Amino acid sequence: MLIANRGEIAVRIMKTAHEMNIETVAIQTATEPNAMYLSSADIIFDNTEDVSEIPVFLDIEKLIAIAQKSGANAVHPGYGFLAENAYFAQKCIDNKIIFIGPSPDAIYKMGNKTIARKIALASGIPMAMGSEGNISDEEEAVKIAEKIGYPVIIKAASGGGGRGMRIVRKSEEMEKMFIIASKEAEKAFNDPSVFIEKYIENPKHIEFQILGDTKGNVIHLGERECSIQRKHQKLLEEAPSSALDKALRDKMGNTAIEIAKAVNYHSAGTVEFLLDSEKNFYFMEMNTRIQVEHPVTEAITNIDLIEQQIRIANGEELLLKQKDIKLKGWAIECRINAEDVQSGFAPDPGKIMMMNMPAGANIRVDTGVREGSAIVASFDSMIAKLIVSGKDRKDAIKNCKLSLDKVWIKGTKTTLPFFRMLMRHQKFQDGTFTTAFIEKDLDKFYLNSEYEEMLAAWLATKLFIEENLSDDSINIDFEHGKEMSPWLLNKRLNQF
Amino acid sequence: MDVSGKSFKAFLEREEALKNQYNTKNAQKQHAKGKLTAHERINLLFDKNTFEEIDAFVTPASQPVEFGRIERTYGDGVIAGHGKINGRLVFAYAQDFTVMGGSLGLVHSKKITKIQEMALKMGAPIIGMMDSGGARIQEGVASLSGYASIFHNIIQSSGIIPQISVIMGPAAGGAVYSPALTDFVFMVNHTSYMFVTGPNVVKEVLNEEVTSDELGGAEIHARKSGVAHMIYDDEENTILALKKFLAYLPSNNVENPPVVTDDVTCSDINEKLRDIVPDDPNKAYDVKDVINLVADKNSFFETSELFGASLVTGFARMKGKTVGIVANQPKVLAGVLDIDSSTKGARFIRFCDAFNIPIITFEDVPGFLPGMDQEHSGIIRHGAKLLFAYSEANVPKITVILRKAYGGAFIVMNSKFLGGDFSFAWPTAEIAVMGPDGAVAILYRNELAASDNPLELKKELVKKYRDKIANPFIADESGYIDEVIDPAVTRKKLLSALNALSNKWVKVPSRKHGNMPL
Repeated sequence: MLIANRGEIAVRIMKTAHEMNIETVAIQTATEPNAMYLSSADIIFDNTEDVSEIPVFLDIEKLIAIAQKSGANAVHPGYGFLAENAYFAQKCIDNKIIFIGPSPDAIYKMGNKTIARKIALASGIPMAMGSEGNISDEEEAVKIAEKIGYPVIIKAASGGGGRGMRIVRKSEEMEKMFIIASKEAEKAFNDPSVFIEKYIENPKHIEFQILGDTKGNVIHLGERECSIQRKHQKLLEEAPSSALDKALRDKMGNTAIEIAKAVNYHSAGTVEFLLDSEKNFYFMEMNTRIQVEHPVTEAITNIDLIEQQIRIANGEELLLKQKDIKLKGWAIECRINAEDVQSGFAPDPGKIMMMNMPAGANIRVDTGVREGSAIVASFDSMIAKLIVSGKDRKDAIKNCKLSLDKVWIKGTKTTLPFFRMLMRHQKFQDGTFTTAFIEKDLDKFYLNSEYEEMLAAWLATKLFIEENLSDDSINIDFEHGKEMSPWLLNKRLNQF
Repeated sequence: MDVSGKSFKAFLEREEALKNQYNTKNAQKQHAKGKLTAHERINLLFDKNTFEEIDAFVTPASQPVEFGRIERTYGDGVIAGHGKINGRLVFAYAQDFTVMGGSLGLVHSKKITKIQEMALKMGAPIIGMMDSGGARIQEGVASLSGYASIFHNIIQSSGIIPQISVIMGPAAGGAVYSPALTDFVFMVNHTSYMFVTGPNVVKEVLNEEVTSDELGGAEIHARKSGVAHMIYDDEENTILALKKFLAYLPSNNVENPPVVTDDVTCSDINEKLRDIVPDDPNKAYDVKDVINLVADKNSFFETSELFGASLVTGFARMKGKTVGIVANQPKVLAGVLDIDSSTKGARFIRFCDAFNIPIITFEDVPGFLPGMDQEHSGIIRHGAKLLFAYSEANVPKITVILRKAYGGAFIVMNSKFLGGDFSFAWPTAEIAVMGPDGAVAILYRNELAASDNPLELKKELVKKYRDKIANPFIADESGYIDEVIDPAVTRKKLLSALNALSNKWVKVPSRKHGNMPL
């Protein structure tokens, strides 16, 4: 099996592959030739001579060639860009390589939001009202917006990650926002088409993990709540969600299954919903890959999702039935990234000089770096995922708080101060936060511990004293310069 | 003596008058501009109660008074004297802007030349702190010849005693050549300026509006013109840095540099050095990381940090003894040699040579910077300066080749047959006439043109070239370098090399002076 990805997810996939006695191939790149994920692989494919502009993990032709050269008959794309690329999946099939993921058709249909919406609409899935397809100009946009009511959100048809998204609150803003969104979409995805949806204010982000096999069986493994996000980038995920009871869970879970079945979905996938304060839920999109936050579902279901993906890709029938899925306890995942919380989560690449992660029965750490590894600017800034569980939410938060205090990373700035603050925040603790939490409810993104100012003052004093001492404390021996061997002194003097 | 007598009373009155001259009103005027008074500067610079002022009571030369009155003041706008800095004798003068704008008249210049001559006789460093409106117009040609004699003295002392200028206010017109002739120039950000013609003249002649800061501020001179070697944000930090800097230098060209006798808790073997140069030859790294790990802890003092930044120069200590460091900086323009970095390196090397400071070179240079701009501005002439300076220097010279050492740049950067005493190379070194890409394109021009898949073939040939030619082992086996070393033992190797070279003496052929390609 070729791992067409790097970092922690490559390590994660190879761990399961190893347990299943599947030989793995990892790709060594010039950007990080000593990366940690390479040590998990059975075979390392040396691609360090390749210095082309496009990273190998985005180059379909090259990946297929590497799979063939290394004798791999399966490819796991991880959660990279190519994991949701229908052309790549098709290319694998054409070359008789098993693509560990859904069919190219399902990827295509769910990847294009307009098509996905049409499918969902046809199946009667609840959705935020919106345009039926792409909209051509701002006049049409205004017409539709007036029908469904402001505020509305303009989204890129081929989009994701928050780019090409604009919220419009009144008709006067529409023209400007429409053009901005369309331009952004063109720049980011090479496709200027956009559509309109009702904008749900302050919703919760709830997503359902589903598993389907090639025989048509689909089950869901419960939900994850990913409302703690910043500019549509998730920072913390938990499973299950405090906003759902069993009835709602069943209802939403069945909806997720319906959507998956509508595209004959197999492999692991995620159906994302928005949940408003009245507990109405709306289908957003389906992610046709394994997700970064999959460990929280694994923690509460005790199911290895990568193993399931591999078995399904191998044509095996899903042995798990919906009634077998029992959610046990609570799990929280913190994404520890190399980012500077104090300057707006700006990436802070660098070398990990020291790294100490906690361990324990209710702690799982997924990481692709170790001491000495570099967090390079050209890849994402993730250092590690810290997954902590407990018997209930309160317990999980308590454990998480303790575990966070044991994490110690030196070399780059990290998102740790953010999580330490979050664990102590009232709104997080009582579960009433929404996706607007970071923008609206936080005035400070990091934890100031009680003694921080005092500590800073002490440190400053210490530095000041050291600096002052160091200037005066140099013992300079000027007489020494005058001591010279007669050989040198005579010759030097004679020269002048 | 009768302390209540008439003559003693006159003595006390004069003392009182001098004190009044440095009154708080004048001091406040300076402070309002973010500047210190000449007295405060002198007090900061010298060890407590060691400064002895000379000619404190001289008065301005009497002149015709058509053009404004010359104030009757003591000292004529400059404080001069000697004292101890970190316990060592140093001469200094500080122009006093509060007295006639620090303008330079005949008596003012005579005070300076007196101190200069004393410093040269005594073989002690001299520091000039400039804060002057320029030549005193009222005194006419007398003031101009005053400048000339100051310049002449600087040139006479050059290479014999360290001469350092600190610009702490304006320095305009001919006055700028006094610092320009000295060995190092310190400037204070936002309060000091240097220009040959000021903003007013620029406006009149070229009709361009510029501020003093834009025309000749510290930042401009540190980054663009290279006139200033060290700049700081305020006068206190400037003076503190100057004191630190002085401790690297000997008092004159006969002595060896002073030695720091503190225990150096720096291990001679450091495995961290193995991790600095990236495996990918196209990737940059900071050569200062290497310098900081090889030299004594916190001992590296960089000179001309912002100018010609593709070459790093500065002083450091090895087991307490001063060394000059010259290093290509792969982080800036891949460490290429251009006009600015060549002249910067050449001047630094010549200073080290004049004052018996051994030179350590860390080499990672892809070559000289190509292009019309560089060629037309005379990279040949300026590159030759660096070559001349390295070859001419007869202090101990040691090179460590970290990575690239290609072509002419390899020769220039203190190669062994240019008189380098020891040449070490790390296993990552690539020593060759040119880089793999260029070499393959020339050597296999025909084969590449004929190939169906030239890209693939080139890749293969580049790899072959790198394995076969661009490595340190060939040069090692044929004696063009002394040893390929483990990066971890670099400090150890350098220390024993420096020790072996401590009594180095080369007889210089007798001549007036060489003809450096200026």
